[in-house]
This record gives sequence, C-alpha cells and structure tokens, in this order.
Amino acid sequence: MEKYEKLEKVGEGTYGKVYKAQDKTTGQLVALKKTRLEMDEEGVPPTALREVSLLQMLSHSLYVVRLLCVEHVDKNGKRLLYLVFEYLDTDLKKFIDSYRKGPNPRPLPPSLIQSFLYQLCKGVAHCHSHGVLHRDLKPQNLLVDKEKGILKIADLGLGRAFTVPLKSYTHEIVTLWYRAPEVLLGTTHYSTGVDMWSVGCIFAEMVRRQALFPGDSELQQLLHIFRLLGTPTEEQWPGVSSLRDWHEYPQWKPQNLARAVPSLEPEGVDLLSRMLQYDPANRISAKAALDHRYFDNLDKSQF
Amino acid sequence: MAANFWTSSHFKQLMDQEEVDVVHSPDKEKGITLEDFKIIKMHMANYIWKLAQQVKVRQRVVATAVTYMRRVYTRKSMTEYDPRLVAPTCLYLASKAEESTVQARLLVFYIKKINTDEKYRYEIKDLLEMEMKVLEALDYYLVVYHPYRALSQLLQDAGMTDMTHLSWGLVNDTYKMDLILIYPPYMIALACIYIASVLKEKDTTAWFEELRVDMNVVKNISMEILDFYDNYKTINEERTNAALNKLALKPSLVKLE
Repeated sequence: MEKYEKLEKVGEGTYGKVYKAQDKTTGQLVALKKTRLEMDEEGVPPTALREVSLLQMLSHSLYVVRLLCVEHVDKNGKRLLYLVFEYLDTDLKKFIDSYRKGPNPRPLPPSLIQSFLYQLCKGVAHCHSHGVLHRDLKPQNLLVDKEKGILKIADLGLGRAFTVPLKSYTHEIVTLWYRAPEVLLGTTHYSTGVDMWSVGCIFAEMVRRQALFPGDSELQQLLHIFRLLGTPTEEQWPGVSSLRDWHEYPQWKPQNLARAVPSLEPEGVDLLSRMLQYDPANRISAKAALDHRYFDNLDKSQF
Repeated sequence: MAANFWTSSHFKQLMDQEEVDVVHSPDKEKGITLEDFKIIKMHMANYIWKLAQQVKVRQRVVATAVTYMRRVYTRKSMTEYDPRLVAPTCLYLASKAEESTVQARLLVFYIKKINTDEKYRYEIKDLLEMEMKVLEALDYYLVVYHPYRALSQLLQDAGMTDMTHLSWGLVNDTYKMDLILIYPPYMIALACIYIASVLKEKDTTAWFEELRVDMNVVKNISMEILDFYDNYKTINEERTNAALNKLALKPSLVKLE
C-alpha cells in the first residue's frame, strides 16, 4: 500500500471508508475502499467478497467503475483489504446538487441528461446480461466524470448474481426513494425490473433536480408513488392485491406524468412512463430502453 | 444464458489439460506424481462434499468450492498450501460467495467431528488465514459457472427430463475430475446427457445434430468421464493416504499453539 498516497477521505461505502489517493509512481488518481477484516470473527465480509467478485466480472465495461486491483495488508496485527478503483471526481447526487444550489441554479442540459441516462442503461444492461442485479441504484452510487461527461455504476455491494428460477431475496435493500413498488409491497420474487424502476426515478430526478418520490417510510414511499401514478389495480398489475404487504389504500387517479417532469420532451416522458410501469413484467428492460426513440438524436458512436 | 458465460472471467480462465496437470516443483521434490496429484484433489473434492453435507449447503456451493480448490492447485503447491486446510477453506469461501454463509465456528466443529486424524483438525484462526491466501491465489475471481443450469435447460429442450436424476449425478461426479477448469460448463452438461442417453439406450443423434456443437469434444469429455469411472474403482483409502503422506507437511506449519 506504500504505492499510494492518501489524499482525503471522500466517503463511507456500504462497508468501509473510501479515500482519494494517488499512485506515487504513475500519478494516477485512485479511490481506495478500505475494509477491516475482523479475523477473530468471520474473515472477509461476504459483502466485500461479493463486490470484489462481481466487479472482477463486470468491470471491463466502460459503464461500471473499474476495479484496478485488490491489496491485502497486515498493519499492526490488523488486517485490511483495500479495493483500488479508478477515481472519478464526483457522483450524480453532488452533480445534480451543483445545478440546484449554489450561485447559479439552472437545469441540467437536456443533452447531458440524455447522455447520462444512456450510459446508465448501458451499465445496467451490462449487469443484467451477466445475471447481476444491482439492487441499490441511486444518484450517490453513480460516479461522474464532469470533464468527459462519463457516468459509471459503482457500489455493487448489494448486487448479486441471480439465477433462474429467481428465489426469495432478503428485503430492506434499496434506498427508499428509488425502491420499486413490488419491493415495497413485499414481493418474494423480484428481478431486473427493480433496477429499471430505480433508473426511472433517477431519470426524473435529473430533470427535476429533486427526487421524484422522496418518501421517509415505506408507507409514505408507496403513497408518494400512488399519488402520482394512481393506486395500482389488479387490471394493471395482476396479483398486486395478493402481495404480502398490500392493504386497502386510498384510491388515487393517475396524474399526468409530464407535469412531474415539465421540462422533459414527450419522447422522454414516454420512456420514463415505461420505466415506471407498475407490473414489473411490463417495465422496459435496460436493453430495450437503449433503442427507445428518446435516444434517437443522441450520437451513439461516442459510446 | 450462455452469453453470460462466454463473457465471464470463468471463460477467460479456462485452461488446457496440460496446464492443469502440472505438478508444482515443491511437490515433485517430495515424490508426488501426476497420479498422486489427481488422487489428492479427488479425495479433497470428496472431503468438501462430506463437510458440506454436515453444514447443509446446496450442491452449487460444493461445486464452487471444489472449483476453487482445483484452481488453487493450478497455481500453488500442496506443500505450501496443505490440501487438508485448503479444502474446508474453499468451502467456507464458496458459502460466502454463493450467499449461504456457513460460520467458521460451525465448520471447524464439523471438521473435528468427522476427522480423528490430527492432520485435518484445523482451528478457526487457520481457516481465516488460509482464506486470505486462497483469495489471493484465485486473484479474487470468485464467480464460477456450473453445468447444472445448462443441464436442466438442455434436458427440457430435448424432452428428456426423465434423465434428470441420472445426468445430474453424472455432473456431480465430474467434480472429482478437473473438467470444470478445462471445458465450458454446458459442454460438460452435454457430455453427461450423452452418457446418460447411451446408458438408457435413447437415440439422441438428431437432437445433438441440431445443436451444432462439436460432437468430438462432447465425446472426448464423455470418454474422460467413463475412463475416470474405470480408474476410480482402483483408488482406495490406502492409495490416497500414501499420496498424502508424501507431502508430509512439517508439524510447525500445522500447529503453532
């Protein structure tokens, strides 16, 4: 680890601190994710193992943060594992904040939203084609290179390879605001649709510069969703009323989605509505989203 | 489905038989032959399976653990990495990677329960230390593909689900060999279906033709499996112990307390 000089602490990951550091010989900036290994207990935490192995598999995509290497160090009897990632200067949350707050509040340029969403769908499609669900997509987990306009998926700690048939997963995984309704309603079988719901929420947030569904409890989260999209019915979403946490809710009528994202062009609203379908089976896949006409005027040769 | 595998690190890590069959020099110096090497790995695959039954994990975890163990020995010697510790460590690691974590304490309890031989009786501390060494030996590549999923899909496609039990058992047995390091999992599945269909006297020629796979490879794998069954009969505990004794690890490496 003497190879790297720690510059500053940049955050707390799912299971440890993250530092910005510099490779002393090459000058390359890296992000160091530190994990302490409690050797008297259970060795390397499974979350870290999962992240490392998924990243080893996925990080050859441009749209997933690249894991450069893994370093294992023994320091005064304490065992540490460092994941060395490429460094990106900011994340999408801070990036959106910079457009909302500060001296010069302004909307994100529509072409940038389009490009970021395209890259996000590319990354998600890549994960899904490898049988990996991210399960915790949110602006904080999307790293951004401001100069180059690049967006990459990070923090795969909660990701897991899924196998067919899909089995029950543990609940309580996605940050509430980006959590799909089937997860909130306690479904036992969920799939790629949970990530696409999150992508939809992130899309809307880039347009609005604030969260689409900022719930502070599971119930509030559902009510936020229902108020905009209408209370789901059996017709739209077969089986919804037999989900574990389904209750009788107030009957809201769907609002016009375009009004929630006023500056978004009609094709964008159409794509968003396909990402926010109640029935996960009807939700657009990441791969299909890449072909949506919202991206028609995007120069795809750069990706 | 297969697309996942072809772009995976598993695919990129497939090796040739000759590479897998290299006995590392520290082992060679102790008189370990290629046959000894294979016998020890097979014995350890069985050991992993036995431990797995005690701690109750899925077959998939066993398969992943055995694959880790076999990969370790394509890179490290048994002299430096005692198989009697590497085997349970791989099971421990696989249980985490496959999301059905087995507590180290529980694993060590069963290690002691099923082994009277002191050489097998490792402590939690040993297991956790070896975990790091195994991780490094594997270069942190932990995602492994297995023939099981392809097997179910292929049998379904062929309308031969009645052969599931037999071919599944055959796939399990392939982990007593190094096939998983050498061939794509779905080719291994096909070889097992091929053997099962021959045993059950089912004509699958047309179905295999439609798949447009290289039948030579399928038949080669099948032959290797059948050869293995022939040789397997001759391997007994005595033969296994003779091979393991050659390693004769220094006691200082085994116990420090």
